[in-house]
Amino acid sequence: MTGIEAGAPPKRPRFVDSAPYHPDDDPTDGARPELDAPAWRLALRRLMRHRLAAASGVFLLTLYLMLPFMGFFAPYGPNEKDIEHLQMPPQSIYWFDEGGFVGPYVVKTDAKADLATMRWTYHEDHSVKLPIKFFCEGAEYRILGGLFTSKLHLFCAPEGGSVHLLGTDKVGKDVFSRILYGAQLSMIVGLLGIFISFAIGVTLGGLAGYFGGLLDAAVMRLIEVLRSLPELPLYLALAAAVPPNWSSLSVFLMITVILGVLDWPGVARAVRSKFLALREEDFVSAAELMGASPGRVVRRHLLPNFASHLVASAALSIPAMILGETALSFLGLGLRYPDVSWGVMLNDALSLSAITLQPWLLTAVAPVVLVVLAFNFLGDGLRDALDPYSER
Amino acid sequence: MRFWNRLHSAALLALLAVSAPIAEAREFIDEKGRLLKLPPLIEHTLAAYDTHAGALPPIAERLPLAPRVVDPTKSGRQFGVHGGSWRMFIEKAKRVRLGVVYGYARLICYDADYALRPDLLLSFDVFEGRKFVFKLRPGHKWSDGAPFTSEDFRYWWEDVANHPKLSPGGPPRFMLVNGEPPRVTFPDSTTVIYEWSSPNPYFLKKLAAAAPPFIYRPAHYMKKFHAKYTDVKKLEAKAKKAGLRGWAALHNDSDNMYKNDNPDLPTLQPWRLAKDLSGRRFILIRNAFFHRIDARGRQLPYIDRLEMIVASSSLTAAKSASGEADLQARNITFPDMAVLKSEEKRGGFEARLWRKGDASQMALYPNLNYADPVWRKVLRDARFRRALSMAIDRRLINRVLYFDLAKPVGNGPLPESPLYDPGFVKPWTQFDLKAANALLDEMGLKRKSARGYRFLPDGRPLEVIVEYASDPAEAADALELMVETWREIGVRLLTRPRDRDSLRKGVESGSVMIAVWTGWSNGLPTPSDPPLDLAPMQQSSFQWPKWGQFFETKGKSGEAPDTPEGRKLMALGAAWAKATTDDARAAIWRKMLAIHAEQLFVIGVASGAPQPVVVSKAMRNVPKSGVWAWDPGARFGVYRPDLFFFAPSKSADKKSGEK
Repeated sequence: MTGIEAGAPPKRPRFVDSAPYHPDDDPTDGARPELDAPAWRLALRRLMRHRLAAASGVFLLTLYLMLPFMGFFAPYGPNEKDIEHLQMPPQSIYWFDEGGFVGPYVVKTDAKADLATMRWTYHEDHSVKLPIKFFCEGAEYRILGGLFTSKLHLFCAPEGGSVHLLGTDKVGKDVFSRILYGAQLSMIVGLLGIFISFAIGVTLGGLAGYFGGLLDAAVMRLIEVLRSLPELPLYLALAAAVPPNWSSLSVFLMITVILGVLDWPGVARAVRSKFLALREEDFVSAAELMGASPGRVVRRHLLPNFASHLVASAALSIPAMILGETALSFLGLGLRYPDVSWGVMLNDALSLSAITLQPWLLTAVAPVVLVVLAFNFLGDGLRDALDPYSER
Repeated sequence: MRFWNRLHSAALLALLAVSAPIAEAREFIDEKGRLLKLPPLIEHTLAAYDTHAGALPPIAERLPLAPRVVDPTKSGRQFGVHGGSWRMFIEKAKRVRLGVVYGYARLICYDADYALRPDLLLSFDVFEGRKFVFKLRPGHKWSDGAPFTSEDFRYWWEDVANHPKLSPGGPPRFMLVNGEPPRVTFPDSTTVIYEWSSPNPYFLKKLAAAAPPFIYRPAHYMKKFHAKYTDVKKLEAKAKKAGLRGWAALHNDSDNMYKNDNPDLPTLQPWRLAKDLSGRRFILIRNAFFHRIDARGRQLPYIDRLEMIVASSSLTAAKSASGEADLQARNITFPDMAVLKSEEKRGGFEARLWRKGDASQMALYPNLNYADPVWRKVLRDARFRRALSMAIDRRLINRVLYFDLAKPVGNGPLPESPLYDPGFVKPWTQFDLKAANALLDEMGLKRKSARGYRFLPDGRPLEVIVEYASDPAEAADALELMVETWREIGVRLLTRPRDRDSLRKGVESGSVMIAVWTGWSNGLPTPSDPPLDLAPMQQSSFQWPKWGQFFETKGKSGEAPDTPEGRKLMALGAAWAKATTDDARAAIWRKMLAIHAEQLFVIGVASGAPQPVVVSKAMRNVPKSGVWAWDPGARFGVYRPDLFFFAPSKSADKKSGEK
């Protein structure tokens, strides 16, 4: 403001918009409509601008949507053994024959025991071409934990042939199918574990932060005790306590609970510190003065204020859960036969011959890396997108 | 005569000045009493000889007057040269005892044809199976040069085995026949006589075992720790200093001829433990007083040193594949063979396949002493065991795990054994789900649907928990192959990996339902071998740990066999011990084997499995094929590792084609 003259107070001219006024105009149809959109849409928009995060999100969403139907995409059952093809290297799929496109086919492949090298050798017989079958019947699989069963597969091995896209292990189990089935347990373990860990963490952290006092002290001490326990030995001890006659589902849930129970202190601390800060805000005092119950204050006024933070940190914690399951199973203490997870597969590949002679058994590393990376990218993107003060 | 020692190089010149020609030929009496000429002796000039003995006497004085003269060509091998170091891997420091196993110098030992021959002894005579006359080799010396005489036997028998403090439970069981100790006499310094009132068929076999009970001790050394010969006060003070309770503990601590962990303890083995420095690597040095020579006058062993390197068992195959071991079979399993074969050239070794000498490569041991009474009744029902056995697809397992190189038969004598009969290993081993199902139906183990799991008589689901340890390594894979075929007969198979020791404890306490282990350790029994695995006489038999314990503790703990078959086997085992002729013993063996074949107390999955043996290209005299067996066999022991040698490096390539 310029034009301040000494003595007399400044006289401001009244501002009059010279644009024509129409009473029917929507006042929100202003110059910056994006500011008026709901918060989630703004966040989504920012997320979509983060290419890597968006791609990761799509990738993960697709995978999770596929999870219940993995049996459909897998040509073999998770523990189906093709004893005619043991330790078979990844099989080639052919598309062209004599220059012309004939669709995907495999050739008849016979195993021979080579006593000089003590290995199975595979000979491709190109005179016998076997087109891969689509939408065919194969091993029975279950959808949604046994709600439905089906025998329909996207593609299967032709009569008298095999399709082992990523080879087979020492007892003839198809690596590709196992990676798909393994995704079911390995990826759900992350979600479930996070759910448990956040349920405990948000509840306890919220209580501690909102009410403070003795409750706060108790929760904090509990967290300190849990944090001071060495994690790996604790995993091992808990996992070893799982009795052998538990069903695979119970073992799986147990592992998830173990991972979740050990993870919540981090969440609880973050929630508590947020609560401590927010409860002093004016809008909280206002709500309280108007007679809102603590539950309502927490749910309506506090949680939405840092939900974004929770979502982002959840996305970033899931990989730790997946890696935790993989590590436990790799050590032979998590899931075990007949369950299939990526960790179980890596455990199977834990031998000299697998590393030197059957490297295809190690392909289970690839999905672990991909999913963990995708979650990290997505988490990063979400954090940026949900932060209203971010540069983007 | 030339000899030098690193520490005494000053004395070398003086020695050289008076050096006589190589010891002149002398005569000796061999074990058959023939007077033979000793070949001219060849001195091995080796700085690496043990330095603790100071200057060693010449070879002629180190050998017994009647050494054991070995002609390697008689066992299809060649004369060797001295030198070299045999590197091998062991999984923990405790396994340094393998030096005693592989060394395999025993009073009496098995030859490659599994016949018993005198070894440390010059000769032995047995009268009526109850009187044993042992003749020692005159002039035989311990590895520190002290004479090995009947005093060493007397010391063990009178001052150790019958000493109330050192053996509170009295003499060990194998020295007793019907609870009676022998009468032991020592007429002269080279004669020892053990005499029982009735036959002791276990005695000689025990002495020839891979892990023998040494019935002699280096008395001159051990007396230093014995209250009878040394001032008790001094000993107690010494024990206190070492943190031990009393002199007896101190004595026991120093007295471990099998454990091989006291470098000061004199030995008679071909190699003796040198001072260990790190606990990660053990050196065993040739025993300068070893009693065997080859027919050209070269003292055995040919190889100067054993180098035992501690490495995790899971790394052994990888390390061997890179040529870091000269001769290795321990901790290498058949699945490693493909890798070993592919690395042969680069690693400078040859991967050979021996055969396992166990009665079964892998066997299921239903625990007849399982704690749960309902389950125990099921496990004790032969029909149940037969059904489980018939629901194992042995051909498939053999193909998948052993490349079709094993035999898909049950637990029992291998074809090389004189007691072999297909009738002992074939019954109930054919893959027949229909018959198996019929047996279980007959037992009244009901199932709700034709494809569902069965239930126990008390309504619990029929869930068989099979626990396994590291031995055999492929157990987990084999069980996985069984899961599906057992499901067909309505048996749910659950598996659990265990640590070796905890599995053993679980079986003995009755908390393990079915254990997986290798079959009977003796797959090549002869009628004169004690049928210890076949009768409930050992706690370590996984099928009846408590019955075995009952026998071993003379009824103090455990349970008496309470099934007709158990009692019958027990009676047969006792009858075997009383039998006096091999025909009678063979007849008893066959009866026992027939009971086992019918009852399937041990369910074998495959037998005669291949065992990879990594042999360095420079290593000679290691058989192309052999039986990898613990007892009898002592692993390499029966193939005489003292005859193994390293070809001199120049001719290594030329000779690589030899046998």
